[in-house]
Amino acid sequence: MRKALGILLGTATMAFAIASAEAKTQLRVVVAYYSAATQEIFEGMAKDFSATHPDVDVKIEVVPWDNLEQRLTTDIAGGIAPDIAMIGTRWLVDFVKNDVAEPLDSYLTPEFKARFLENFLGPSTISGKLYGLPVAASARAMYYNKDLLAKAGIKDPPENWDTLVADAKKIKALGNDIYGFALQGKEIETDAYWYYSLWTHGGELIEGTKSGIASPAAVAALSLYRSLIDEGLTEPNPTGYNRQDIERLFKQGRIGMILTGPWLRGQIKTDAPNLNYGIAPIPAGTTKATYGVTDSMMLFKSSQQEKVAWQFLSEAAFSPKWRIEFTTKEGFLPVTKAEAEQPQFTNDPQLKAFTDMLPYAHFAPLIPNWEQIADTTIRALQKVYTGEAKPEAALKEAAGSIDSILQQQ
Amino acid sequence: MRGYALQSSGINSTQFGRTTAPYLLILPSLFLTFWIIGYPLWDLVNMSTHAVTRFGQLKGFIGLANFAHLIAEPLFSGCLVRTLIWTISVVGGSVILSMPIALILNEKFAGRRIARVIIMLPWAVSLTMTGIVWRWAMDGQSGMVNATLFNLGVIRQPIAWLATAGTAFPVEIAIGILVSIPFSVTVFLGGLASLPNEIYEAARIDGATAWQCWRHLTLPLLRPFINIALVLNVIYVFNSFPLIWVMTQGDPANSTDIFVTWLYKLAFRYGKLDSAAALSLVMFVILLVFTITYAVLAMREESIEVRR
Repeated sequence: MRKALGILLGTATMAFAIASAEAKTQLRVVVAYYSAATQEIFEGMAKDFSATHPDVDVKIEVVPWDNLEQRLTTDIAGGIAPDIAMIGTRWLVDFVKNDVAEPLDSYLTPEFKARFLENFLGPSTISGKLYGLPVAASARAMYYNKDLLAKAGIKDPPENWDTLVADAKKIKALGNDIYGFALQGKEIETDAYWYYSLWTHGGELIEGTKSGIASPAAVAALSLYRSLIDEGLTEPNPTGYNRQDIERLFKQGRIGMILTGPWLRGQIKTDAPNLNYGIAPIPAGTTKATYGVTDSMMLFKSSQQEKVAWQFLSEAAFSPKWRIEFTTKEGFLPVTKAEAEQPQFTNDPQLKAFTDMLPYAHFAPLIPNWEQIADTTIRALQKVYTGEAKPEAALKEAAGSIDSILQQQ
Repeated sequence: MRGYALQSSGINSTQFGRTTAPYLLILPSLFLTFWIIGYPLWDLVNMSTHAVTRFGQLKGFIGLANFAHLIAEPLFSGCLVRTLIWTISVVGGSVILSMPIALILNEKFAGRRIARVIIMLPWAVSLTMTGIVWRWAMDGQSGMVNATLFNLGVIRQPIAWLATAGTAFPVEIAIGILVSIPFSVTVFLGGLASLPNEIYEAARIDGATAWQCWRHLTLPLLRPFINIALVLNVIYVFNSFPLIWVMTQGDPANSTDIFVTWLYKLAFRYGKLDSAAALSLVMFVILLVFTITYAVLAMREESIEVRR
């Protein structure tokens, strides 16, 4: 009898202990993998937050970008969405449409809002309400191989497309394995690589309610790329090269000029420290332009502890200390004024090339079904790059499909 | 008299227990199987007949509209043709190549054990890993295949294997055959091991050549195993996703897309779960029709053979 009572008491105590341990609030945060530093940075934020809020247990989970959207979609559909997640700002359109994202206006204080640089709050504002806080921003620029340009007798990097074509011809003459201009023709962001040309030729992705990719400017932009391939100024068979492939060729010193984002700097530092390269604005056509991409942190409507989640965001994740840490370590552009004033940003000439382009940044349009539209564009581009179709015909067909997708909403 | 009447009328209670007990005992596992296989199928049918949001919420019942839209899509017929080419080439190639391999491995020779292990290796490595390794080997700039061909003097310029469908699709089919051979070889080896030796002795005494032995003895006796290998391979290859996805993602311009890679794009890139569910059911029906037709034909053949 006493033994049974003893066991009963022991079990009850254990159960009570476990239950009280679980009385702590659990905050689940899902973030995307940028580099090996991402996990430590967010764990640091969690530790700082738990120090001031001992009753909250913050769980950070790092997921690779490729899987993130799928992972969040499955979690939302299964009813186990996290409290906070990092997302590609573009995804907000679907999340808001399906009533999954929590509008942040009621939590914002004017002081908190003033921390951010104005134009970065734009992409995550839908129908006048703010749904995401910008956490990483990048613009695109042209990296060029200083050694190759010097060898080809070129003093300065080209400022417009005509000069680029001439320069690429000189670089091509340097050898069999050397290519003047990198052209991405495979996998994700193949369309973005062409948008650089489209926007600098004055074209637009969406004009009113219809697709703008069959406009004369667009056809000129694509014909330019096609002529680059025809004259052998790019690597052969561009449809076999995705973004990592052309960046690899650049790091090997075989590409004269490539258009890409700030992450390549970090990669060159580790993979090709002896590469002598420079960064210049994307060549202009009729106008200057670049592609701006932001990632945001959002709050889920299904979260049970929205107040605590907001406290985490405002006190830890977006505190000046951690914003500076994140942007410096990951190599992105500053999104808050505190970061922008830091000497490592103001005194970095390479970063200046990116930030100077920000006023000309175009963003991907915030419309649903964007992935399908991007894929339709990529299909047309690949047909032109392989020679299967001519620019005007391919773009007209794609624009027709995109128009019907746009009409579906 | 009355005793007998009672016994012969109706079923005795223990006899009843004896006949129904087995069914009662397997009922739980049967129920579990139906649930595990049936529930996702039911869910798919539901999704394919409703409008579905990106997050899996069913909106309105729209009957067969999803199927109509799907079949009207320009990519549907292209993907259908490519899927058929992919399946027939990979399964045909693997079965035709596996037969001689199995015959050779069935003979006793020095190093047979090592040879069997080598043949099994492509099966042991995951398809995704195989795809990644071959993707790098086929790379236009830094691939081993180009380097080897260049050193052998076969080509003068590097070939960008995965850049266009004309070269990428045959490469993918070849690798598909490579990874399907181990399974077919295993099935055929099992079949060959089950063949009786006496018939070969009798045939040799009658003066049959090796070819006649194979054509008239081995082949007919292996027919059930060939059927198994064909049907299982067709089902597996029809749905095979990793190889094509890792190597070309179905591009450029959807020219290497088969049904299952297009399905992935529809479901997880565009978020169109209703069209994706409809496509899954179309694929299921195609495979079901094939399997039933093949089984019926095979059984009819067997009964014709028996009658002979």
